Amino acid sequence: MNYLVHLAILVGIYLILAQSFNVTVGLGKLFNLAHVAGYAIGAYVTALGSLELGMNTVQCMISSGLVSALSAFLLGGIALRLAGDYFAIGTLAFSSIVSALLVNWKSVTRGVLGIPGIPRPEFGTLQLNDESSFLGLVVAVVAVSLGVLYLLFESSFARVLRAQAENRFAAMALGRDVRLINTTAFFVSAFFAGIAGSLFAYYLNYIDPSSFAFSEMVFLLTIVVVGSPGSFWGCIASTVFLVLLPEPLRFIEIPSSILGPMRQLLHSVVLLTVVWLNRKRLFPSQREV
Amino acid sequence: MLRVSDLHLQIGDAAILNGVTFSVQRGDTVGIIGPNGSGKTSLFNCLSGFVLPEKGTIHFNDAEITALPPFARAELGIGRVFQSFGIFREMSVLENLMVALEGRTSVWRTLFPWSSSSRAIREEAKDYAAQVGLAQKINHKAGALSGGQMRLLEIIRALAFGAELFLLDEPTAGVSPKMKEEVALLISRVQSLGKTTLIIEHDINFVQSFSKRVIVLDQGRIILEGTPEEMRRNDLLQEIYFGRNMSQAVM
Amino acid sequence: MGSIPQLLVNALTTGSIYALVAVGFSLTYGVLKILNFAHGHLMMSGAYLFYLFSVNCELSLPLAALCTTVGALILALLTLFVFVAPFQRYSTVLPLVTTLALATILESFVSMSFGVNVKALDSGSAMQSFEIGSVYITPLQIAIISSAVVILAACAYLLHSTSFGRRVRAMAELEVGAQALSINVRNTTVVVFSLSVVLSVYAGIMVGYETNLQPTMGHGYTIKALAAMILGGLGNLWGTIIGCYILGMVENLGVGLDLGEYSLPAGYKDAFAFVVILLVLLVRPQGLVSWRRRTA
Repeated sequence: MNYLVHLAILVGIYLILAQSFNVTVGLGKLFNLAHVAGYAIGAYVTALGSLELGMNTVQCMISSGLVSALSAFLLGGIALRLAGDYFAIGTLAFSSIVSALLVNWKSVTRGVLGIPGIPRPEFGTLQLNDESSFLGLVVAVVAVSLGVLYLLFESSFARVLRAQAENRFAAMALGRDVRLINTTAFFVSAFFAGIAGSLFAYYLNYIDPSSFAFSEMVFLLTIVVVGSPGSFWGCIASTVFLVLLPEPLRFIEIPSSILGPMRQLLHSVVLLTVVWLNRKRLFPSQREV
Repeated sequence: MLRVSDLHLQIGDAAILNGVTFSVQRGDTVGIIGPNGSGKTSLFNCLSGFVLPEKGTIHFNDAEITALPPFARAELGIGRVFQSFGIFREMSVLENLMVALEGRTSVWRTLFPWSSSSRAIREEAKDYAAQVGLAQKINHKAGALSGGQMRLLEIIRALAFGAELFLLDEPTAGVSPKMKEEVALLISRVQSLGKTTLIIEHDINFVQSFSKRVIVLDQGRIILEGTPEEMRRNDLLQEIYFGRNMSQAVM
Repeated sequence: MGSIPQLLVNALTTGSIYALVAVGFSLTYGVLKILNFAHGHLMMSGAYLFYLFSVNCELSLPLAALCTTVGALILALLTLFVFVAPFQRYSTVLPLVTTLALATILESFVSMSFGVNVKALDSGSAMQSFEIGSVYITPLQIAIISSAVVILAACAYLLHSTSFGRRVRAMAELEVGAQALSINVRNTTVVVFSLSVVLSVYAGIMVGYETNLQPTMGHGYTIKALAAMILGGLGNLWGTIIGCYILGMVENLGVGLDLGEYSLPAGYKDAFAFVVILLVLLVRPQGLVSWRRRTA
């Protein structure tokens, strides 16, 4: 029973994380390699906010989202001026800086030791001490986040984002400030990544840099690519599928040191296969005038 | 309405435009012709703001727009139809039109698909699609249309966006002969709505059916200006198009 | 911390290793026009192959080197024909995705076979440093620096004085043009890519002797090569190599200089590369934005 609740919580966190990633990579076809950085920032803001600053749960979650979104806003200011490969490099550098800070800024993040003892979330007198009540919170946050993102996916904003992904010159010729639109997409995407990070920190009660490694980025990319980039429901289905896919491995007798790499291996093979099958349609190149 | 003076554009080491000066009155239709590489599309890119000229000014409705970003120029009413098709192929016909229409409303009013503004825009988009005979295809991907239909969609999209000045870059390129007529019909409808039009075109006959005035561009300069009739008879033009090398050989 | 001459020796060693890694990275970008995000991982896998042959199989050094070279070539061909070539013509973004997938595959595969803990190659007496003036230097460091110089010189000769080099440079300039001159693009690509992988594997082995090997080391070296390439210009080989030595300097002086309260902890050494990337992108994006394309 506990195991199922654990899986449900995990799926919930990844639903938010992957769907928000889908905004930039899927709708906007912006090859953003910094999404996990936003996730990490969210988790650390919640950890530090609740332990050091004594913020309550709502404050922690909101500020996790906002700090993450603001950092993405700054990154967007630099990276969105760049085209193609340079954009990927810029976002990669940003996410690497965040990882380096998590490991080395020991006075704040405690480095690789991580931050233990993050309190369980509480709302007034309501304390979510056991797993199933925490699942309730996750379900609520997921419902609200996915609801907002669903509206976004159906809105005029998503249409422009998709339009500029295909032909930014034509989008500009229709009076759209492409850079502003992309920056907004970055902002929204990172906001929800921060929220997911906050949930993650509350759930594990302990965070360390290893949860936000670059392999996590590849996993998110796999989810979005498998679900067809830009597809709201596809992303949800592939999140559920891919988070649960390696779980049967647990029931085979494998040492845990092999389990992690094996999961990564499985995900990347899935990624490669799906990319190969859809190579003609995925990420078409921008048209030039 | 549009005043271009002494426009110079350099890309890399190559001088693309060398002092282009002309102006267009409201409601005019002007054809721009010239051999490949004469700077026609670059001139349009300068007007749209995709490239910034080294020297020279562009005025639109008495306001200087030389340094404005592309989207701001579009908002002022400069529409563009791209030579290589500027439609969004991965999006449906309806969505293509909606992107254009939504440019004029705030994001917040169209955030919810069931809001009255969103529904109004959807209806309007359907209406525009019907005007170019695409009513049956509104939910098809635009990339699945024929060349002629794509062209019609792109022109009507610029109209839906509310462009005042239409920059049409070879509107008949990639269009079957049968559909050419439809494109021509749509352009004359744009004309009759009082819009100003600049057309880049290779086919002088096609240009002639709309415009009383033609500009000839060669090596980034305007070398001739006049009515299509005059152009037809002009020896220099014949030479540029058909036999510069031959005439040089003779000389 | 160390004296400045000592730091310079360390910087030269680091820079040489980066240069050996980045040569291949830059050549690949020049010829294939793709960023190979698995470059560092290929280096790591090759170094582990060497570990397998020399430590696990106890082969003699030349034999282990030979086997590793063969292994690296196979790895290079697999990468090129399975992970890059089938995707390259559809989109410029796809190879980024597939090389990322390859990177994860290599990393997890090596972790599963060798474990996640560090492995060291034993260089025996080559690690015994001797003193010149106030500077300590090991024979291994001398070997790294001098072999880098020799290899870079050989690359310079290959690229600038042979017909093969002219072909490579022509392709880097304009692939269509090169094809028009009946340059066999495919063969040239295979040779260049194999060379890049072999050189970076050599660098990986040196890292194994100098410090140690870890399955997660690959990503860091890819980013170092990226930073050097951003400094020197994408696809600009010699600029990239200068960038490598600059990066080596910045890293070693940055954490090595004793600035009292403001000294940076050694852990930040690796972060300089990322900051360099962002700073260069922030200050000089004008050369990088692709709008000012030639249009007819």
